[in-house]
Amino acid sequence: MATVQATAQATGARKVKPNEQKIPLARVLGRWAFMWPILALNLIVIVIPSIAGLGIAFTEWSGYGQPEFIGLANFDRLMQDAVFFKSLSNNIVWTAIFLTIPIFMGLLGAYLLAGIKRGQMIFRVLYFIPFVLASVVNAQVWRFLLHHRVGIGPWLADLGITDILDVALFGKAETALYTVAFVDIWHFWGFLVVIYLAAMSAVDVELYEVARLDGASRFQQFRYVTLPSIRPTIVFTLLMILIWSATVFDYVYILTSGKPAHASEVMGTYLYETAFFRFDAGYAGAIGVVMTLWVALAVGGFVFLRRRGWDV
Amino acid sequence: MKHLKLFLTIALLLFALTSVGAQDVTTVVWWTESGDEVDDFLIPLLADAFNAEHDDVQLEIIGQESLNDVNRTALQAGAAPDIIQTPGAAFIAEFVDAGQILPMTSLADQYGWKDKLLPWAYNSGVLGGELYSIPITYESMVLFYNKTLFADMGWEPPTSQAEIDAIAAESIANDIFPFTYGNASWQPSNEHLMGIYLNNYAGVENVYLALTGQKSWTDTEFVEATDLLATQLQDGWFSGDLSNYYANTGDDIRYELASGEAAMMQSGTWNFGSIGQFFEEQGTEWDWAPLPSFHEQAGEYNYELATGSTISVNANTENPDAVGKVIDYWLSDPARVLAIAAGAGFGEYVVPIHFTVDDFPAGTDERVARFFADFAAVTGAGRAGYTTWTFWPADANVQLWTDIERVWSGELSTEDYLADHEALWEQARDEGKTLPIPAR
Repeated sequence: MATVQATAQATGARKVKPNEQKIPLARVLGRWAFMWPILALNLIVIVIPSIAGLGIAFTEWSGYGQPEFIGLANFDRLMQDAVFFKSLSNNIVWTAIFLTIPIFMGLLGAYLLAGIKRGQMIFRVLYFIPFVLASVVNAQVWRFLLHHRVGIGPWLADLGITDILDVALFGKAETALYTVAFVDIWHFWGFLVVIYLAAMSAVDVELYEVARLDGASRFQQFRYVTLPSIRPTIVFTLLMILIWSATVFDYVYILTSGKPAHASEVMGTYLYETAFFRFDAGYAGAIGVVMTLWVALAVGGFVFLRRRGWDV
Repeated sequence: MKHLKLFLTIALLLFALTSVGAQDVTTVVWWTESGDEVDDFLIPLLADAFNAEHDDVQLEIIGQESLNDVNRTALQAGAAPDIIQTPGAAFIAEFVDAGQILPMTSLADQYGWKDKLLPWAYNSGVLGGELYSIPITYESMVLFYNKTLFADMGWEPPTSQAEIDAIAAESIANDIFPFTYGNASWQPSNEHLMGIYLNNYAGVENVYLALTGQKSWTDTEFVEATDLLATQLQDGWFSGDLSNYYANTGDDIRYELASGEAAMMQSGTWNFGSIGQFFEEQGTEWDWAPLPSFHEQAGEYNYELATGSTISVNANTENPDAVGKVIDYWLSDPARVLAIAAGAGFGEYVVPIHFTVDDFPAGTDERVARFFADFAAVTGAGRAGYTTWTFWPADANVQLWTDIERVWSGELSTEDYLADHEALWEQARDEGKTLPIPAR
């Protein structure tokens, strides 16, 4: 045995761990046989389009015919494009909103629901329904509810409550982005409730008993037991919100299309307009690269924290 | 064994017969935007009729949701239908650039399409001397008004800016919006208004000069036209407030007009198909009038020329001749064209060919027939304007309807907005991306 190890070291071969067994080739191939459909699907649907999308950003291309390589010209143009920066800043505002309000609502909702033993499932379903409804349906419902002529606002105005909702919230530059965000939060926060509730139900009840014996209030139990226990779930949702905020499109497109005067424009809607109305797919590709960088930074930060030993 | 041989012989004969039959029939596939008018009128009156009269060519019309998106993917994949339908002329230049459609000049010569189509409509599909597309509908901009309200208020349809001002003043004094409009359903609706103000304030001659590079979009007439619209919007002439304009859908604006909340609407003749039901619900009556000139320099009233969807021949089709036969069948029968258009409420499939009064189906709304008669007379006399979605290159067109919102919000000056517009026109000319402008 000693001779074998010495020979291996002398030849630079990998040291074989005592419990490592060689897997038969047939079994390895068998495993790959089960893997290849999903790998092929990922290759076709994700990898190839991603690489193509990256390549397009360095071309002038209408979306039809042959693209022409133009180097970094699209990125130069991006740096001088006021509408792009307006979109980017709106994405940042959007992210700030979603990293705070729905998270707070989700945690609060889940914590309150966790204390309910009877009928909890009914609330879970009720909160979750907006999340599973199509965005077009949700958007249309809120378009009616917030309509300046037939929605809640005029009804409140009849009761004497004026100048709050009896205005076109989707049509005012000051309110358009926030109103769309409100609708999206309405659809999204129930999802967070269900996620956090599932995480909270996995927390050891003995921790709460100990905390109670130590005289902790409900808030202190939440602060010192619940929050640390579900931290990985919270970080996961923060990461997902960071990613989704970069690619936000549907609610903005349906409700305002970035109007008025780009006040609610986000990178996704600007990319769409650039590619499909201006026939400038190359420039749209450059916007897409910025969105991808945003996502890469979010994921990179997550990986970095894990490597630093964070329990996320 | 004997039975088996007999069976095989019969099967072989049947196969041979069907194979011969299949080889003789060419199928032309055309994807169009799906809708009730396609199932109820276009397919029965065009495809079924064509197929009944032809043994060698069969036409298959398939309705598609979001046709433009479907076509884009299919073209890239080389799997698009024989007839390519686009939402408008601006798309054609891109398709031609990409080599994805065939020139139809030889088919046009063979079938005499130049004589069958209205001259400006034929020319709108010519690029570099070749015919690449044929509009399958045309439209113009008019002034819709609530006839019941006008009668109650003792108003007549305005024929000048002064008369518009007078009606507007009286409307506002009575809590009525002078105009209704909105762009929540379709942001490019901004260009409907911009086009009207450019043509009816600066005048069609000046617009023509700017389109052909003989005049700058930064000239005073265009600045004033843009400012006039901006001022009216900012003063609440359109649905009471600019924010309402941004939040109004197509249904909202037709409701505002029908209910008498608004007096007038500057919009396209595509509304012929849908406006009636709103007025029926409200128990009021609608009518239309030509949009008046907003300034003396614009001369007598005009109608803007506008083509809607277009059709072209796919460069990958194996049967361009069969496609030509199908298109010619449609263009050659005005009564059939108008019967299909009537099914769509004259909002779609009004192919720009020569009609006579007798071609209109019985029961055609007098208001609709009046429009087509006046349109032919006025544009025939040379008083034809230009819609932005038919004659503007893509980039300049998008800038026109997106950045105008920055002018309306006060974020961008009219001068800077038009300077950007002029720059995009110059760029389009340099890149050869301008669209055909019918000579005056």
